[in-house]
Amino acid sequence: MLRLLDRLEEILIAALIAVATGLIFLSVTHRFAIGFAADLVAFGRGAEMEALTAFARSLFKSINALKMTWAQEACIYLFVWMAKFGAAYGVRTGIHVGVDILAERLQGRARKTITIIAMSGGIVFTAIITWIGTDFVWHVRNGGQTSPDLEMPMWIIYLAVPLGSALMCFRFIQALHRYLTTGEIAHHDHGAVDGLDDEAEDLAKGGHA
Amino acid sequence: MTAIIIFLILALLLITGMPVSIALGLTVFTFLFTLSDVPMDAIALKLFTGIEKFEIMAIPFFILAGNFLTHGGVARRMIRFASSMVGHWYGGLGLASVLSCALFAAISGSSPATVMAVGSILLPAMVRQGYPAQFGVGTITSSGGLGILIPPSIVMVMYAVATSGMVVQGPNGDPVMSASIGDLFIAGVVPGLILAMMLAGTTTFRAWRNDYPRQPRASFGTRWQAFRESIWGLMLIVIIMGGIYGGIFTPTEAAAVSAVYAFIVAVWVYKDIKLSEVPKVLLSSAAMSAMLLYIITNAVMFAFILTSEQIPQTLSEWIVSLGLGKVGFLLVVNVLLLLIGMVMEPSAIVLIMAPILYPVAMALGVDPVHFGIMLVVNMEIGLCTPPVGLNLYVASSLSRLGLTEVTRATWPWLLTMLTFLMLITYIPEITLFLPRLLGM
Amino acid sequence: QDKIIIKFSHVVAPDTPKGKAAARFEELAEQYTNGAVDVEVYPNSQLYKDKEEMEALQLGAVQMLAPSLAKFGPLGVQDFEVFDLPFIFADYDALRKVTQGEVGRMLLAKLEDKGITGLAYWDNGFKIMSANSPLKSPDDFLGLKMRIQSSKVIEAYMNALGAVPQVMAFSEVYQALQTGVVDGTENPPSNMYTQKMNEVQTHATVSNHGYLGYAVIVNKQFWDGLPEDVRAGLEKAMAEATDYANSIAKDDNDQALAAMKAAGTTEFHDLTPEERAVWVEALTPVHDEMADRIGADTIAAVKGALGM
Ligand code: NA
Ligand code: NA
Repeated sequence: MLRLLDRLEEILIAALIAVATGLIFLSVTHRFAIGFAADLVAFGRGAEMEALTAFARSLFKSINALKMTWAQEACIYLFVWMAKFGAAYGVRTGIHVGVDILAERLQGRARKTITIIAMSGGIVFTAIITWIGTDFVWHVRNGGQTSPDLEMPMWIIYLAVPLGSALMCFRFIQALHRYLTTGEIAHHDHGAVDGLDDEAEDLAKGGHA
Repeated sequence: MTAIIIFLILALLLITGMPVSIALGLTVFTFLFTLSDVPMDAIALKLFTGIEKFEIMAIPFFILAGNFLTHGGVARRMIRFASSMVGHWYGGLGLASVLSCALFAAISGSSPATVMAVGSILLPAMVRQGYPAQFGVGTITSSGGLGILIPPSIVMVMYAVATSGMVVQGPNGDPVMSASIGDLFIAGVVPGLILAMMLAGTTTFRAWRNDYPRQPRASFGTRWQAFRESIWGLMLIVIIMGGIYGGIFTPTEAAAVSAVYAFIVAVWVYKDIKLSEVPKVLLSSAAMSAMLLYIITNAVMFAFILTSEQIPQTLSEWIVSLGLGKVGFLLVVNVLLLLIGMVMEPSAIVLIMAPILYPVAMALGVDPVHFGIMLVVNMEIGLCTPPVGLNLYVASSLSRLGLTEVTRATWPWLLTMLTFLMLITYIPEITLFLPRLLGM
Repeated sequence: QDKIIIKFSHVVAPDTPKGKAAARFEELAEQYTNGAVDVEVYPNSQLYKDKEEMEALQLGAVQMLAPSLAKFGPLGVQDFEVFDLPFIFADYDALRKVTQGEVGRMLLAKLEDKGITGLAYWDNGFKIMSANSPLKSPDDFLGLKMRIQSSKVIEAYMNALGAVPQVMAFSEVYQALQTGVVDGTENPPSNMYTQKMNEVQTHATVSNHGYLGYAVIVNKQFWDGLPEDVRAGLEKAMAEATDYANSIAKDDNDQALAAMKAAGTTEFHDLTPEERAVWVEALTPVHDEMADRIGADTIAAVKGALGM
């Protein structure tokens, strides 16, 4: 059950970043293609090449039939969702960085106490956000607001905040539980790249190619 | 007084070691529940709308692009090219490291990513070739800083986001237009090249004095071959800068395009990443981006509390009334940022400090672009100063040297960077020359 | 006793027409209520940004706003999009027939359901088109990438011109025009001038094809809870501030236009009556196209008031 939640969380955020990237790439390509078709029309007109002008016009019309004005807005909302759920995933993998100089220098009970305080901070904060976030979403739902370009109900978009925070809170509780039972803390390794050893070996031998 | 209380709460929370984003958020709530009459709902609003800006979305895109480039063999080929070009000079692979970092910086927006991309290959290579590990670590930790100075740069995006829309006045009362991402990118080019040369100078000098090994001189054919293999990565420099200034896309769109481009190169051109490994890259990029976006959200909330308590305004008036002048103020800013840079990460620092310092700087007549680049250089140094410095962490984890050892190793290059900071601070022309030339 | 505090938040600089009018309202309101009310004006999105202020008002975090009329569509009152329709108001006199008449009040009343009371309409001005090529006839727009703010109506009339509308944040426009990511845009002259867009646009046509305006709104619960006499004082102050707002908005646009002409970086073109007729013919179909969205009865009511 928990494994399933982990997987869903991972699939969701990876899919969101992929879709957002693809979408903006598509909208740039689309705009570029339109510009090209329009230039072609102008060129055809200038050179008085009627067949070319007609072709370029129909090309322009067919590309322009696809409307991408909503792409930026969609990208923002995809990333809002990615950010809220990714933050929860980040708790699980220990990516959120803090100033741990004091904890690193402490020993025994003091160290344990300060670590528990730090982790509880995460629980308290995300719990508060879940609470006021839910309240806020409820309020927005009643207001009936929609987004300007996509015309999606805003409360659905904003649902990311209470849902993401609730999950994040759960992850903090999990992390605290794990620390209390096993003494382990998740730490993200910022310097991990695998499989480059041969490359280093080759360069060390003075090889260039 | 209020300012002191707010920052005291923040400091207390930070010292427990909790994530910076959480500490920022809890500071806001602690303050709200006890000392302020700002309604809770008003704060909730910021949680939802804090990152609703298309400019901010450049951050996840650049991170994704950077990950594809690092894992996709682009860095590897750039390093080969760099080492074939300069490896035979004094400094050998050290010099190649600086050049590799500069090249990789031109396609990646993050400094730790640059350290990782270059260091993961060159550090072990240097050790095997007989360099002391310290030499390699020093070179790469510091040169990795170029990642945020040479465009593209995530920290520049943060600065632009933190100051955009702030309406502030210059010394004569005229409104000052905030620096755009595009302006900052262009302005970073010349300082980035100068710093790269200064770091290369330090590297060469130390290598020459200690007579470290050098690479055999590469033949023209080898160089050409290395160049041809790395061309796909080098092309990205042209795509990003050419695309932005050639009117094909905005900086955010450029970031998305480079992510797609890096994906294609990694999977289909170099074939260093299998399609089945792509989800892993997506996931780690999403996690890193989400962490930064989470800091942004909470920093926005924190900045809102400061503003509604009139803290930046009061502080700004106070500093101006001290009569430090431009020279004194910039010195104070540098010292302050270097100190904060020791214990915090660049994104959080820029988001918290830029809104506070920016109005003062503008009131004293500092150019918004120049001020931004100065901040970026400070952040670069902060990445290399203990106890908290991501470049140091990455280098330490790559070299398996302790943090103290890595710090000591970086020291000579750190001095070079401090000298460079003084140059950037007091000679604005270095920064502003290129943007002005291009009529921006 | 304690003063009644009205937090009036807006997103522009204090020295713009809206900023000055807000300051005038502050002064008058405090005077006409004999100091019972203290108006605090927060300019420059100091508290809330463009996208947040409406929610902040509904939540009661601020009491008064002057958002652009385009903000009411996403709120669920699409009737306000009637103001975006191209060539619907021939001039300021025509506009006043709506904003200071029965139809204007009817539109503001539609906000009550959303917890908002509308008090007045303030002008920004009529919009002109700009690009890096001459824009004399609709045909000149073919394929031009035009930056617009989010609006289905504006999108529709840009499409009717054959242009390609691009939604883009205001803060990105200057650079996008400079580099050529977009070819042109539409603005009232004052916005075009303060953003220095004339530096990066070689041509502009004083088309006055569309209107940009604001509505001054208050939190309904707050407003209804005010003592009768205080409300009367505030209404009087608002009426005077409105006249002031509209007169300086017009001056501001006239001066901006003159200044941009003097700067000489942009060639300005005034539409001849014949050219204008062609534009009107190309764009008025948008009125029918948008009738389902905006509400045919609302469009009819506005046109009725205008004698169209
Ligand atoms: Na970079
Ligand atoms: Na540091």
